[in-house]
Amino acid sequence: MSILGKFSRKLQFNYVLTKLTRHHRWLIALFTVALTMVLVIFPVWTQEPIAITTLIRADEALQLQPLVAKFNQQHPQIRFKIVEAPSDSNQVEDLYTSSFLLGNSPYDLVYMDIVWTPKFAAADWLRDISDRLTPEETQQYLTEDVAGGKYEDKLYRLPFRADAGMLYYRQDLLTQAGYNRPPETFTELLTISQEIQQQGLAEWGYVWQGKQYEGLAAMFVEILAGHGGYWVNPDNLEVGLDRPEAIAAVEFLHQAIVKKISPPGVTTYAEEETRLLFENGKAAFLRNWPYVYSLAEDSAIAGKYQIKPMVHATGKNSAGTLGGWGWGISSTTKHPDAAAQVAKFLSSEVSQREFVLATGFLPSRVALFNDPAILAKYDYYPQLLEVVQNSALRPPIAQYAQASDILQRYLSAAITGKMSSNQAMKNAAQETRNLLGK
Amino acid sequence: MRFNRQEKFTGWVMLLPALLILGLVFIYPIGRAFWLSWFTENLGTQLQPVFTGLGNYQRMLGDGRFWQSLGNTTVFTLISVFLELLLGLGVALVLNRAFWGRGIVRTAAIVPWALPTAVMGLAWAWIFNDQYGVVNDLLLRLGLIKTGINWLGTPTLAMTALIIADVWKTTPFISIILLAGLQSISQDLYEAHKLDGASPWQSFTQITLPLLMPQILIALLFRFAQSFGIFDLVQVMTGGGPAGSTETVSIYIYSTVMRYLDFGYGAALVVVTFLLLVFAVAAISLVLNKVNKVRA
Repeated sequence: MSILGKFSRKLQFNYVLTKLTRHHRWLIALFTVALTMVLVIFPVWTQEPIAITTLIRADEALQLQPLVAKFNQQHPQIRFKIVEAPSDSNQVEDLYTSSFLLGNSPYDLVYMDIVWTPKFAAADWLRDISDRLTPEETQQYLTEDVAGGKYEDKLYRLPFRADAGMLYYRQDLLTQAGYNRPPETFTELLTISQEIQQQGLAEWGYVWQGKQYEGLAAMFVEILAGHGGYWVNPDNLEVGLDRPEAIAAVEFLHQAIVKKISPPGVTTYAEEETRLLFENGKAAFLRNWPYVYSLAEDSAIAGKYQIKPMVHATGKNSAGTLGGWGWGISSTTKHPDAAAQVAKFLSSEVSQREFVLATGFLPSRVALFNDPAILAKYDYYPQLLEVVQNSALRPPIAQYAQASDILQRYLSAAITGKMSSNQAMKNAAQETRNLLGK
Repeated sequence: MRFNRQEKFTGWVMLLPALLILGLVFIYPIGRAFWLSWFTENLGTQLQPVFTGLGNYQRMLGDGRFWQSLGNTTVFTLISVFLELLLGLGVALVLNRAFWGRGIVRTAAIVPWALPTAVMGLAWAWIFNDQYGVVNDLLLRLGLIKTGINWLGTPTLAMTALIIADVWKTTPFISIILLAGLQSISQDLYEAHKLDGASPWQSFTQITLPLLMPQILIALLFRFAQSFGIFDLVQVMTGGGPAGSTETVSIYIYSTVMRYLDFGYGAALVVVTFLLLVFAVAAISLVLNKVNKVRA
């Protein structure tokens, strides 16, 4: 390039510059800054670790903190962060729901109750994680817990901690009343309760969750399964609520109240009210989740109670309703692989062992129920494994929330005597069929 | 006063932000609910809107749960607002008298209204608990009942408990509004009336009540609208149970939208409730206008 050419170009450039108004110059300056940001600054930013965010109830977030710190230390390329949510799990569900409805959810990982799975999956808020686990890895988890994370045969949720309904009983009262073993069937549960009440050993026989809320449906699932009945068959959407087994199941609950084995107020109780009655020695039997076991050790009945799988009808198997929490990967996350890495870390054997030892929750891995370290602290875990392996699922259908509300309303009507068990279950079945379009 | 065009224009420009906010906050959501109520948009349609015309409204006609919740809401609103008005008027009349410690009593009377509803709802749920509740304990000690009453587990009693809790919480609100009204009534009127030989009761019905009417109607208007949308108290105390006997419309709408993700039907529920409320409020406002005109 000749000097002259260079000079003439410079001239031209200067000429253009003089033609530009001040306004235009500002625009050019702005453009240059924007270009620098896109080409230089942003790439530097993306060298920063990938942020993975999830939303968890504040109390459990605190319990998970050691695992979070450990993960972040071992994985400098990922920053895992928990946003604390209110301690009512319904509100957490609402927060997740709103974040997905508004699009672009800020959460990469979804910490999910087992009953959210079908709805969240049907709404297309979760990623299919079936390919992220090998069959061998899947087998290490509780079968039912994995099944509860599936929707239309695809896996959407990696189990973290399990939960199942069970029967708590007062060993000391049984012995005093002259029984050498706890009840096995529904009938035995009622007769033993009455015997204990008549001998004045406890004011009430059997307490359970009868308030109109999700816990009522959860509790009913195990009574229903124990009678050999079913609610909704997820394969063909057949509704079994008006079958004789289901009506017998409702009648069992209703009779418990009528015969004054359960306090009339049981129709307003959630978990905590029933736990308090049991811990105060006012009741001989309690249906509840595993969390009561460790809490009751600090109460008046410490050392006097035992747990066992829920009772069943003669010739049928007992069942405990499966609850529990696990990890889903949000469909809007930009980093599904990193999110999966976090989920796998948290659900790993090492992490679960650490979490269970610190909190007393149930693991979702079968092997941990017989783990020496865990047994040293909680010697009753093998019994819990028996409960969890006999667990029943609430129907994994997309309209579960609505189906559950229908059941809750009619169950509530039946146990408060507002409607006969027969009529209530007929109506419930009919409305559920309408809902499912059967 | 007359404005020139420039001033008018400036006036509109200054109003614009407020109008814009009003539009965003009120008109857009209501318009959207109307629009959405013509569609089915739920998990069955993969959350995509599918036009159904009046389908949602037709479904509402046959929806027993909707009618039950509407009935519950109406019963709750009418009874609780009536009681609150009665008690609120009484409290206001007492507080309007000069007595020692009035300031403290007046402040104390507002406390229930200042408490978060969810917190006091929990407290009331325990008060009405059948085993540990204070209400049953008192009744038992007084020998009025032999065994604890299952307050929250019996449909009519559960509604009664809710109304008691709501009356306790919102009576102060009404009494404060009425107290303000009472203090604006001149004492001269009463003195003149008394000289004419009127009894206190005549003074009350002929001076206090007519002059207090605007405040009574305003209090009614506020309470009616609030009470019709009652959510938190019911959610905490009964969750709508037993057997849906305390479920209010707003709880049903919340479940339909947030839990069932049935947006089209939820929108139709919102529209109908909204229209009902508009009619009720319009009726009260009409009466209020008439009363004001008579006074003027």
